[in-house]
Amino acid sequence: MISWSGRKKALMLLAFLGPTLLGILALNIYPIIYNTYISFTNRNQFHPNPDCSDTLTAILEPSCWPMFKEPSGMGQKYEIVDPFYKQYSDLLGELLTTGGLLAIARCLLIFVPLYIASKVNKYYDRQLTRSVPSIAVWLLGFVGAILFFFIFDIPQAIASLQEDSDFFIVVFRTIFFVILTIPINYIVGLVLALVLNSEHIKGRTFFRAAMVIPWAASTMFIIMSLIWQFFFRDQGTVNQILKNIGLEELTKTWLQDPLWAFAIILLVNLWFTFPFTFNIILGSLQSIPADQYEAADVDGATYWQQLINITLPLLRPTVLPAIVLSAIGAGGFQMFGTVWAITQGGPSRGAGVPGATELVMVYAYKQVFQYSAYAKAGAFAVIIFIFLFIMTLYSLRMTRITKGAYE
Amino acid sequence: MSRKPKLLTQIFQYAFLFVMLIFALYPIWFVILASGREGGRLFTLDLAGMFLPTEWTWENYQLMLSGDPYPFLTWMKNSAVVAGFTTIFCLLVATSAAFAFSRFRFYGREVGLILLLAIQAFPGVLSLVPVAQLLSAMGMYAKLQGLVIAYVMGNLVFTTWLLKGYFDTIPIEIEEAAMIDGCGPVQSFILIGLPMAKPALAVTALLAFMGGWGEFVLASVLIPAPDTSRTLMVGMYSMANNFSVPWGYFAAGSVMTIIPVILVYTYFQKYLVGGLTLGGVKG
Repeated sequence: MISWSGRKKALMLLAFLGPTLLGILALNIYPIIYNTYISFTNRNQFHPNPDCSDTLTAILEPSCWPMFKEPSGMGQKYEIVDPFYKQYSDLLGELLTTGGLLAIARCLLIFVPLYIASKVNKYYDRQLTRSVPSIAVWLLGFVGAILFFFIFDIPQAIASLQEDSDFFIVVFRTIFFVILTIPINYIVGLVLALVLNSEHIKGRTFFRAAMVIPWAASTMFIIMSLIWQFFFRDQGTVNQILKNIGLEELTKTWLQDPLWAFAIILLVNLWFTFPFTFNIILGSLQSIPADQYEAADVDGATYWQQLINITLPLLRPTVLPAIVLSAIGAGGFQMFGTVWAITQGGPSRGAGVPGATELVMVYAYKQVFQYSAYAKAGAFAVIIFIFLFIMTLYSLRMTRITKGAYE
Repeated sequence: MSRKPKLLTQIFQYAFLFVMLIFALYPIWFVILASGREGGRLFTLDLAGMFLPTEWTWENYQLMLSGDPYPFLTWMKNSAVVAGFTTIFCLLVATSAAFAFSRFRFYGREVGLILLLAIQAFPGVLSLVPVAQLLSAMGMYAKLQGLVIAYVMGNLVFTTWLLKGYFDTIPIEIEEAAMIDGCGPVQSFILIGLPMAKPALAVTALLAFMGGWGEFVLASVLIPAPDTSRTLMVGMYSMANNFSVPWGYFAAGSVMTIIPVILVYTYFQKYLVGGLTLGGVKG
């Protein structure tokens, strides 16, 4: 290992790391600090301008810096609000009252049966013989969760949280989106990989090559999203096909229907992501040694037994990190571009209420660029960031993606 | 798994593959069909015209390439310039950092690497305002240089991690041998590390270029106007986001944008899948 020390080492490190650190400071850390600061102020369309006589503002606002000094505009100057956490309490609304906390607690209760199921399974795993198959335990857990869902009237709890806060509407909707889109994408990818991994299928190379095409096109998601939008327009492809085959009564303005708009977003997201999930799963399928299956064949295991007891457990180490990363990434929780191109968050449900497909990032974008509600969006960003930060650290720990860093 | 499945299973498998094939390819096929028709006629098609090229004209392509009313070639040049410079600077900056993270031992290395990833969790949409303010204070707002700076910095974490993962897989013994012969860290980086990391550099370059070529959100905010300094994605979006849009023109532009990328991806498919699962990004 390279072993010098003192000033020479520090200089060398600076030369190697300096540019990267500078970039990260400017584009990753500075926006976080800036947004946090703005979230404590009242910056909005009525108070858009910085007050350079304020020390903190003068440090954080580029237009206040001496070398870039600009004459400030005519608008009112923004300042720190009183109390400083006003934006947060506005956003979170009813959450910090007793009723809100109770509603959250009720929502969390439905995870208790699932947690117990996983613990019971771990207990059985340590035994030499399993008296109960793991699927049965999970099934019981799910049944318990569904029972809890009705016993504690979760829909009512969610509704009470959403009553006067946009925040919970968009967050719950986004979580709902992630819960639907990730399993759909990975199950389609898994089935496709399983089919294309079996040797008797003819033209496997062709199919594999064809499935990469949406992946390539997904780098230009905005164009492809617009084409998908064209399919579902009033005079779009879907309606025309329906008309041509004599099903005119089925035609509708798809993107004006909240449920259909949501389903279309799920479909387009599937189109963009299934090649990636398919390739990841196929790669890891091919790394499973064949003798495992030969041994299972000798023991007389059926295809489904092999799938559940060999294939899926061996896929887990590769696929789990990918699932977690896509759930918190741009194809899941941070979904923006596709929705923006197809529905712009609509169809609208009335003035001031988030539209039917308005996921968190779309909501934040609209707050900044349509309503100039910088402070509100800042508080929103900080809350989402804390959540995503914890999720990222947790997923890194869980998946040991950073194993290399500790060696 | 080598047993031949039953006939019924096979039928289901081929049916599933067929459906997925249509699902995967139809949007692209539709764009190609649409690019060969006059704009208005897309709305009055018969069933066969939805799936087969029943008529073909090059008019849309000619109009898009003529630069009037849409400066398509200028958009394309802008995108190519931005993506090209992004790739070059990204590699220049990130390889040295990745090499340092992989080879040097210093205080805060582990924490730094993890924090880099966790900081990325900040929603990108919301850092647009500070970034735009920073760039406009530096006089780079609404200029392609500013966009390159923003892209390079935005790509750094991902690129650093990808390359660091690859450097970790290169045996250090070669560098140790070189060091005994009197090779310093800079020399061992340039003479040994870089040449050995060529495959990873190629993948990273491809991803950075594609990222810059297809990026939309930053480009739309940082370069709002005029029409001629827009990038391809923003230009195409502005074209389609209009209710009287001539879809034939849009489709012709899309084909010219997408087909090269598809060819490149198909060609590099093996390396891309391998490159993404190299080293650190794998579990």
